[in-house]
Amino acid sequence: MKEALLDVQKAIVDLNYEDIQTVVRKCLDEGIPAWEIIKEGIGGGMKQVGDRFESGEFFLAELIMSGEVVKEAMPILENKVDTAKIQNKGKVILATVKGDIHYIGKNIVAMMLSAAGFEVIDLGADVHEEKIVQAVKDSGAVCIGLSVLLTTTIGGIKDVVDALSEAGLRDKVKIAIGGACTYEKLAEEMGVDAYGSDAVQAVKIFEGLLEVV
Amino acid sequence: MGPTERIIAVFKGKEIDRVQTYCASFEEWTVQQVLSKPFITTKSLFFNPVSRLILDKWGKKISKMVLQPSVDSALMKRLEAAVALGFDSTVLNYEWRLMILDSKKVARVTGSIYDIQHDGHGNVFFYYHGPALASPEAFEAWSDFPNPDDIAHGCYKFYKKAMAQYGEKICIIGDTCTGLHEIILLAVGFEKMLWWIRKKADFIKKLISLGDEISMKTTMAAMDAGIKVVLHADDFSHKTGPILNPKITDELFGDSYARITKAVHDRNGISAIHSCGDNTKLFDYFIKWGFDGGHAFENTSNVDIAYEKKTHGDRFTIIGGMGVDYLLTSRSKPEEVVDGVKHLIRTCAHGGRFILGPVNAHSEEDVSKIKVMIDATKEYGRYPITV
Repeated sequence: MKEALLDVQKAIVDLNYEDIQTVVRKCLDEGIPAWEIIKEGIGGGMKQVGDRFESGEFFLAELIMSGEVVKEAMPILENKVDTAKIQNKGKVILATVKGDIHYIGKNIVAMMLSAAGFEVIDLGADVHEEKIVQAVKDSGAVCIGLSVLLTTTIGGIKDVVDALSEAGLRDKVKIAIGGACTYEKLAEEMGVDAYGSDAVQAVKIFEGLLEVV
Repeated sequence: MGPTERIIAVFKGKEIDRVQTYCASFEEWTVQQVLSKPFITTKSLFFNPVSRLILDKWGKKISKMVLQPSVDSALMKRLEAAVALGFDSTVLNYEWRLMILDSKKVARVTGSIYDIQHDGHGNVFFYYHGPALASPEAFEAWSDFPNPDDIAHGCYKFYKKAMAQYGEKICIIGDTCTGLHEIILLAVGFEKMLWWIRKKADFIKKLISLGDEISMKTTMAAMDAGIKVVLHADDFSHKTGPILNPKITDELFGDSYARITKAVHDRNGISAIHSCGDNTKLFDYFIKWGFDGGHAFENTSNVDIAYEKKTHGDRFTIIGGMGVDYLLTSRSKPEEVVDGVKHLIRTCAHGGRFILGPVNAHSEEDVSKIKVMIDATKEYGRYPITV
């Protein structure tokens, strides 16, 4: 791999917020296309962060901070990306359910999925079920990721499931849940298809769901 | 033995007559179901045009005069509700940090901002909005840091009153709202906390030092007022594990907590910690810092309560364990609650050092299920354990 791309990976793994823009610009100056910087540099860096989190070397603070580092790099690349060159594994709609304004976990999932080649449609936090149904209709996405941090907003998951059923879309999409108050049994109780215990698992979960949808 | 002596005995590893119960405090809606609904709701007080006008214009000025007495009164109601339900012990927070900014926002004087929202039952609550000290300059400019001696004085009066009214009926566990990690987390924000720790160590030390002084003084004030068991609420973990690397956590907060727990022990008190999430990698540190026990053991996190009982159960009291995500809500069946209680008793009660209770407080707790939990603990938690 090109040295400059390795520098991008290193800046992400080192959580080097200050230097990420410099190393990304260096890549562009060397003629490396933006799609390759995203795929190999940022994607490769986030993969290493995820691996270190899973192995117990990194903790939540590192995971969150790596997302911030990537966020710092993206404005330089956004308008230069040739989307046709980026591998598109599929579309995933992400949202934090209504009543819950927490977004950090969802954003890390978004970052992980984007870096792994998914097209992420991020609807934000405190999202009502109608908006999710509309997004499924508009985008044709077949996967939905719902984030819930507050126990009091668990009901929002069921509302999304019910709204999709009413719209005749439930059988056409797969839903995964994650967040502080979620767990395996809740996924069963709410009638969704998968549960992720941390953000790093999201890539494998959605890869799996796309195979069966 | 009185209620406090019974709880202290449990911390010391004694199997008294039965397993004790713990109340993780309540949200307003739960209190109102136990006691009664107030004539005027807090929602109607905050969410009307006249109040909005007043709060927007003079919110900060009238904050101390209006907010602190209301908060004190609400916290006392929580204590009253815990007594009414028959809990053996309850945490009682002394909440001194709030300050009205305007009709839509309050702040904690330790540097974080909250939106004023309502819970759908007529009660307002404050929802974390973001950091107020996102730069060292903001720290220097923040004019609202409290005087630790003033807070300690208020703390003493608060617990003195609580002890006089309810100290014979329930073990009041004092929580003076001084989580050292939490102050930083909320004041500089989750996203860049690690950056602050790495790059602005002096700034972080200043914040910790402020929290440290307030924590020590308020804890001692609470003990002066008669509190024997103190709880330091400080969320160190998420469901997946510690937020920060445990070694960094130890370097930053270990000395402060060790000093505070030593001061509590020197006065024959008990010191426990509340930390949500999976603290598996932190329990050794909690013990090293001098904590006698810990609360939460959230069932929705990856913490393994049975493993913790086996690993640290001879030194560290487990408090909590009952889920508020399902078992203590209206969605569960009473028999499931009983089964949950039996399971916890079977897993954790042998050798004492276990107090059963909800892992947290939240507004959708079902009072009838709380009663089932308490009754089942009294029925099946008798020593020797036979369930």
